[in-house]
Amino acid sequence: MRRAMIVMAATVAGLVGVLTFRTTPARLTLGALPGASVTRTAPPPTVAGAPPPPSSTTTTGAPPAPGPTTTTTPAPTTTAAPTTSRTATGASVNYNWGVMSVSATVTGTRITKVFIASLDDGGNSRSQSIDQQSIPILEQQALQAQSANIQGVSGASYTSAGFAQSLQSALGKLNVK
Amino acid sequence: MHLVHHLEEVMGTVVTIDVYAHAAAPSVEITPLVDRACLLLHQADDVFSTWKPDSPMSRLRRGEITCAQAPPEVAEVLELCATARDLSGGWFDPWALPGGVDPTGFVKGWAAQRALDALVSPLVTGAIVNAAGDIAGFGGPGGSRPFRFGIVDPTAPGDLICVVEPPAALATSGTYERGAHLIDPRSGRPMARVASASVTGPDLGLADALATAVAVAGGDGLGVVEAVDGFEAMTVDFDGSMHWTPGFPMAAIGEAAPSAGGQGPDGSRSALPGSPGPNR
Repeated sequence: MRRAMIVMAATVAGLVGVLTFRTTPARLTLGALPGASVTRTAPPPTVAGAPPPPSSTTTTGAPPAPGPTTTTTPAPTTTAAPTTSRTATGASVNYNWGVMSVSATVTGTRITKVFIASLDDGGNSRSQSIDQQSIPILEQQALQAQSANIQGVSGASYTSAGFAQSLQSALGKLNVK
Repeated sequence: MHLVHHLEEVMGTVVTIDVYAHAAAPSVEITPLVDRACLLLHQADDVFSTWKPDSPMSRLRRGEITCAQAPPEVAEVLELCATARDLSGGWFDPWALPGGVDPTGFVKGWAAQRALDALVSPLVTGAIVNAAGDIAGFGGPGGSRPFRFGIVDPTAPGDLICVVEPPAALATSGTYERGAHLIDPRSGRPMARVASASVTGPDLGLADALATAVAVAGGDGLGVVEAVDGFEAMTVDFDGSMHWTPGFPMAAIGEAAPSAGGQGPDGSRSALPGSPGPNR
């Protein structure tokens, strides 16, 4: 194996140099991105080309059961968002260590709270340490992702993917993209 | 413009399908496209799942059937896996895994890419299939803008470490939440040399496989991916350092990143906060 690695290194050594630098704490925060909204106390403004915020008039009741759901969001006509808070729990999603579901609270079209609604990792001690490490931060990520005007998140994970997917399910029930 | 947002439970996770359709396109015209995409995802799961004991892939692994007796897409996928193995310099190798050939590292991306292709329509301006963080897309969310995706910071999984605008596909692989699940094909043992590896390119199946390869190979893997036409790669080391190939479609990185030492020939950092962003 060691020999193989050396061969490998020799193979790639001549290839084009790779950009390198340290980003020690490299954190994308609100407003750090082009087009990001910096308004936290109001529904996000409609950025050109951004996914349209759903009209408040189209909000319907949340589907009663988890599972595949389809929601259709009409054209963007940003009107005054309702100020009432609504909460929904997303589908239970299998992740590598168990089953989890996420709840989201929105006020108008703004996510105001995200939390783990249920988490069953079967008591696996390895899982618990991972969950404790990752989940509280993920809650912040959910808020961050909404602020960054992006259409998705890529990560090497089961936990974060499960979190994101359940969250999207919850947001779908609330007609919030 | 209106958005059809669909969640489908398949392949052990939930796959997100977003279709951005022309305003004049009636939803009744979009729904069959989404249904078709979902059907393809479930078909792939039925054929390739290594968790379903009766799937053709499971039976093949146990030696109960031959490749010729399996559905034709099995041979197709294994052939593509062999190509991916060669392009990755052997760092991605479904045949080197414990328990027999396992194309799972390729199939999720491949299936998502096939599902996306089913969404192509004159009524659709853009679409995304996001299979648990491995993303295939075409078009954009509206106007002439491309889709933008965040990549999770593996050293702080609550944060994004950067935002990219991939040409079609974006896959990320790593160990930071799954434990040491990546297998070094050269030793047969769990190994990852970076905290995470992301690959962009024209096809999600190959991007998925190459991301796995780079996560195992580490920094050497960047050169491997750079040699593959149309594909680019970015790694995050366990200490948070980032490295990427010059063509990686970086749209933004964290604002705390240093301003010196990382300028790329393509000006890939010009979208940083405080700098005029490129007109994309």
